[in-house]
Amino acid sequence: MEFKQVVGDRRTIRFFEPNEPVEPEKIQVMLEAANRASRAVNADFIKAIVCYRDELSDDVREQLKTPTTTVQLDLAPVAIFWYGDLTFAEGAQDRLKELTDLGALPVTHGWSHAYVDEVAYAQVVEPLSKDTTASIWAVSVECGLAIAQAMLAGVDEGLGVGLHAFNSAVAKEALGVPDTWLPMWMLLVGYPAEDRLAGGQRPRRPLSESYHRGRYGTRWEEIPEVTERLKKEGMIQEPMDAEARAREVQALAERFGLPL
Amino acid sequence: MTEALRATDPVRRWFSSAGHDRRPPEMQEHYLDVLDGFCRHTGKSPDELVAFCFLRRRATGERFVSVKRRVTVNEWIDVFVSEQGWTGKDAVVTANIVRGFLIHNGVLIQGKVWTGG
Repeated sequence: MEFKQVVGDRRTIRFFEPNEPVEPEKIQVMLEAANRASRAVNADFIKAIVCYRDELSDDVREQLKTPTTTVQLDLAPVAIFWYGDLTFAEGAQDRLKELTDLGALPVTHGWSHAYVDEVAYAQVVEPLSKDTTASIWAVSVECGLAIAQAMLAGVDEGLGVGLHAFNSAVAKEALGVPDTWLPMWMLLVGYPAEDRLAGGQRPRRPLSESYHRGRYGTRWEEIPEVTERLKKEGMIQEPMDAEARAREVQALAERFGLPL
Repeated sequence: MTEALRATDPVRRWFSSAGHDRRPPEMQEHYLDVLDGFCRHTGKSPDELVAFCFLRRRATGERFVSVKRRVTVNEWIDVFVSEQGWTGKDAVVTANIVRGFLIHNGVLIQGKVWTGG
């Protein structure tokens, strides 16, 4: 699938085919996409535990639920628990030197082994890793980049995906999560039981409401031709039709015996 | 009997919010029968059922959904469904009719899903 189409097609899927298995090969594609994401100091910030639904007991699955993560957890065949590793600075010097030797961090931009030891690591990475707030910020941003790529890879593989909160204390106990791993999100994966486009694209505000040019307050002006091209290429799609969606939700509720 | 039930505020809110008042009369009657049966089972009116699920913080008076009471209501629902002899998908669907009533009255309550197994 073309990149723009994948971006346009991604939805938070909440109704999965509960009994349609997800191929481990496709999960690996998602993990590799996460593994290939942009990452500061080439650190392995992102960690994940992949669980097939039936590997979690009914009790654990029930306890993992939150006010916003409900029956989708019972329907999705796979849950990927994403974590951020707070020990990201360990080995950072060696990894930076490796990138320097490979030329990814070139001398033209000031990189050398001495610069890694005396500046990049000593003055940036190490102090950041010892600052709790800064560490959580860095880990969260880096994990977000990786998770986004995994989600898009899942869509590209024909899967439905949905990112949700989970009860991290229950997961820590049930999955044996190390103390240095910070809980991020749980990504539910499966084949959609709802239409794969889930009723259309969710409402988004115009670019000018969030994006600025040069300085805050000078709003980004959309170029109409680009907007039109993105519609043709699938990134911008039809908005949701509430009535059609209500019919679909009713049919799904009847199929799965859910409250209406 | 179900007409009196239908006239209560929580049931009117449920029917309006869920769009049940636009469904066929026999379906509306079924929903009301199930809720009526559950009310009799618990000895509580619709208002009392909803009120039971909430507590108020002593300091602020703020209303919040009690987790313990939600668990209790889920247990009542399971017993009610079992006593009625419903099994399989019927049991899931009927239990979730009661939960639908509570959800549309602001109670966060989660039930089972029928996956065909």
